Amino acid sequence: MSSIIHHHDETGTPARQRVLTLIVIGIVGLLFVRLYQLQMLYNIELGKKSTENTLRAIVRDPIRGYIFDRHGALVVDVGPSYSVTVTPAEFDKNSLALLSSLLSLEGRAIEDRIEKGRAYSKFSPTRIKRDIDFTALSALEENLYLLPGVGYQIDSKRYYPTKASATHLLGYCKEITDAQLVKLGDYYKLGDLIGSSGLEASYETMLRGQKGFEFLAVNARGKVIGSFEEGRNDISPKEGFDLILSLDAGLQAFAESLMTNYRGAIVAIDPSNGGILALVSKPDFDPAVFSGVTPPDVWARLNTDTSKPLFNRASMTRYPPGSTYKMVLAAAALEEGIIDENYRFTCHGAYRFGNRTFKDLSVHGSTNVIEAIQRSCNVFFYQLIHKVGLEKWAEYGKRFGFGQTTGVDIGEEIIGLVPNGEYYDRVYGKGRWTQGYLVSLAVGQGELGVSPLQMAVYAAALANGGTLHQPHAVQSIRNKLTNRIDQFQHRARPVGLSVETMALVREGMRRVVSEPRGTGSAARIPDVMVSGKTGTAENPHGDDHAWFVGFAPFEAPTIAVAVMLENAGSGGSRAAPIAGLVMEKYIHGEIKRYKPKPRLPRLVPDSTRVVTQSLQ
Amino acid sequence: MLDYFKEYFDFKAFFLTIGLVVVGLVSVYSATYDAGAGSIFERQLMWAGIGFFGMIVAAVLPLKTIQRLSVPAYVVSLAILFAVLVIGKTVSGSKSWLGVGGLGGQPSELAKVATILALAAFLAKTTTMISDPKHLFFAIAIALIPTALVVVQPDIGTSMVFVAMLLPVLYWAGVDNFVLAAILSPVIVAVGALFGTFFFIISVLICAVLLYMSRQNRFIAAMAFAVTLAVGVSVQFVYERMPAYQQKRIMTFLNPEADPLGSGYNVLQAKVAIGSGGLFGKGYLQGTQTQLNFIPEQWTDFIFCVPGEEFGFFGASLVLLLFGALLLHGIKVASVSKNRFAGIAAIGITAVFGTHVLINIGMSMGLMPVVGIPLPFLSYGGSALLMNMVMSGLLMNFWANRKAY
Repeated sequence: MSSIIHHHDETGTPARQRVLTLIVIGIVGLLFVRLYQLQMLYNIELGKKSTENTLRAIVRDPIRGYIFDRHGALVVDVGPSYSVTVTPAEFDKNSLALLSSLLSLEGRAIEDRIEKGRAYSKFSPTRIKRDIDFTALSALEENLYLLPGVGYQIDSKRYYPTKASATHLLGYCKEITDAQLVKLGDYYKLGDLIGSSGLEASYETMLRGQKGFEFLAVNARGKVIGSFEEGRNDISPKEGFDLILSLDAGLQAFAESLMTNYRGAIVAIDPSNGGILALVSKPDFDPAVFSGVTPPDVWARLNTDTSKPLFNRASMTRYPPGSTYKMVLAAAALEEGIIDENYRFTCHGAYRFGNRTFKDLSVHGSTNVIEAIQRSCNVFFYQLIHKVGLEKWAEYGKRFGFGQTTGVDIGEEIIGLVPNGEYYDRVYGKGRWTQGYLVSLAVGQGELGVSPLQMAVYAAALANGGTLHQPHAVQSIRNKLTNRIDQFQHRARPVGLSVETMALVREGMRRVVSEPRGTGSAARIPDVMVSGKTGTAENPHGDDHAWFVGFAPFEAPTIAVAVMLENAGSGGSRAAPIAGLVMEKYIHGEIKRYKPKPRLPRLVPDSTRVVTQSLQ
Repeated sequence: MLDYFKEYFDFKAFFLTIGLVVVGLVSVYSATYDAGAGSIFERQLMWAGIGFFGMIVAAVLPLKTIQRLSVPAYVVSLAILFAVLVIGKTVSGSKSWLGVGGLGGQPSELAKVATILALAAFLAKTTTMISDPKHLFFAIAIALIPTALVVVQPDIGTSMVFVAMLLPVLYWAGVDNFVLAAILSPVIVAVGALFGTFFFIISVLICAVLLYMSRQNRFIAAMAFAVTLAVGVSVQFVYERMPAYQQKRIMTFLNPEADPLGSGYNVLQAKVAIGSGGLFGKGYLQGTQTQLNFIPEQWTDFIFCVPGEEFGFFGASLVLLLFGALLLHGIKVASVSKNRFAGIAAIGITAVFGTHVLINIGMSMGLMPVVGIPLPFLSYGGSALLMNMVMSGLLMNFWANRKAY
């Protein structure tokens, strides 16, 4: 072997020195390149990672916007409420039983919330129970030393300082559901409150404000060690915007009181712009039920209640309007030149069509269009609809906004139904329906379906001389950041009626209330000329629904109103007096006549009271 | 007097070492002052003082004394390494710690210096012919005996340093290129084999070229190549028959980022720390990764992250430059030394420093497997700091005696 290996035992030749020098330069150069790569090329990416490593963002909830009425009265207030929180990482399972008894919450429910919170961040406090009362809070405080990881925080809840509840208009907030979390994405987190109905829902993004964040520095074990960079990066929450409503809280409260023991709705609108002055749906419920946390049993009761207190009867019902709809047919006939003011028809108390006889309530004799409205002569309109025809009748219905959305800003409404030939062809088959179907439509019966809100918009259009305003509860929005107030920009369109047609229809309506032999005299107000129209909608399933639409003062209306009472009987005797009182209250600010005494209605089984009482 | 200093005082080794020790103290302070490990900085400061003393002693001792002491020192260090295995304290899973009275230390640090000196002393003997295979094997054995004792502690990182130091020393002592290639080839192929067939083939090709170019005799070259191939194939054979968990352990050793929650965690956090430093860093004591203890025991093996994060590319480059200058100076000392012992020892010292720098900084930047070896002068560790400063002192000694035979 020694023969093969070359003998040169020379130490450290210059060649070998060069090789080693190159190796050293190579190694240092390699490290240099890598250093450059990490610090100069990947700097942004790795810098972000380092920030994420050390930062924990704690959400600070904003104050939800306040809601005021048209006179500046605070209708929806915000106040403090205490929420119990648990920091999952610090919680000791052995204290679960104690916590459960202190909060009267099932252990399973608490564990469930903690697990969901842990999925978000085990070091951030997660809400276990909202809105605990003061007794529970004191009991909790006394035991906090036994409950590691448990704490409480101040949240806000809704308060309703006025007598008006306006439940269906204002709506309510609820804790966000899992489904909403999936759908609405990034902004919301488990345990957040979100507007779930009414204005709270439709103006959610305005009212909620913007969450703020407080940044805390954490160490590698996730433990908070202080505020990050002395809070220089913290984002303070931005207050929600205030809503200023066209609502008159006093009128609303009064209208609600008139509806005690009724099922039905009142919608009062400012005819000059469509602003909602009052919107009542009965039965209702106390909105404070939802202000903090809703007990599941109360929620279940509200949901299963057969009187449907959660249901907004003002915008979500579809009832035939009865005779209150007659102005549509009258307007169609006049506008199309089929009749004029001199046209008369003699009512013998009944109308024969084909082999069927349709009875009227009385024999009205020779009647012109004004008298037909005034006395609600059915026969006059029975024969008139055949002259006008289904399509024209339907067209004028649409012109008044029926069979379509009103565009109201409270979020939920249904369009109702104005049947036309196409509709009947679809439902019954072509040629399988007759002109006889039209007879009931002439007096607002049959398939025709409208909501009290649509009727109020219609009444307002009749009041203002033919402009259909988009009804809206919000008059303006105050931006709390800039203090700028933005007016609600509502839509409006003309119904498209001549001055003459309008004058004739309105004269008919004036006589309904303000002249002898009118059907709506119960709606009269001292010192003010009122006009309107009564309606009694036949109900195949039970008692008639009572309707009244009207406006006042006749010369320069400031309020238009629609009243609908389920199964209450005749419109003239039940709905008209309520409408009169609502209009009087709004116009005079008080009830001028002696003590208001609407005829006592029959007691409708009303679970509202049961629910509200049980909550108190 | 000044001329005397100019002639005999090794300014470069001295100031580069002091510079690195200062950077180390600054970094250790940052990594520990708020981490509930307050006394670490004071202890490091104390050891720096002891190290300074050790450095001066090593620099002024007569060269002949050092050469004569090298073999006894080597024997003593072997005895201590052996004793550690029997009575040593287990620290971080390794029996590498020996405590005497209040002071404790890692004997493997002493063994490093002693082995370099013993190897140099043997190779420098006039009777030693490195071209004689018997002598070559004896030299290799001098390095491998302490390596074996360190491996069983087990301290894989330090044992790798012993092996890595051996090759440059043999190279400097004049071992034939072919012999080095024949030693290196099986190692290259074995590592290549672990990375899969593609890297296996590449490494085999590289070794074939190395062996072919340095060959003296075709038959011997072919035999060396056959051995290389056999090692590679058997490594693959053994690896494939290993239990899955052992395979995983090897894989995460080679590629720690495959296990981001285990050993990859440190590398990931270290990369984040260095990378987030940017051009000028986050400022002293302002590095969030460092101050918030994202890297466990950062003051030991991941100390490079401190200058990287807090002083940025400028600070970290300065550290690299200091090391680069020290390494080049070590080679310079070796080449100007007329004394064979001093020259070979200087190369050994430079090789130890270089290996530590490459593995440690490479590891902190995700270039190297996570091998627990400290960064010279910077990492916390008393005996390591002392012995590193003693090695710098030896370089100063060799510089001062460069003209003596």
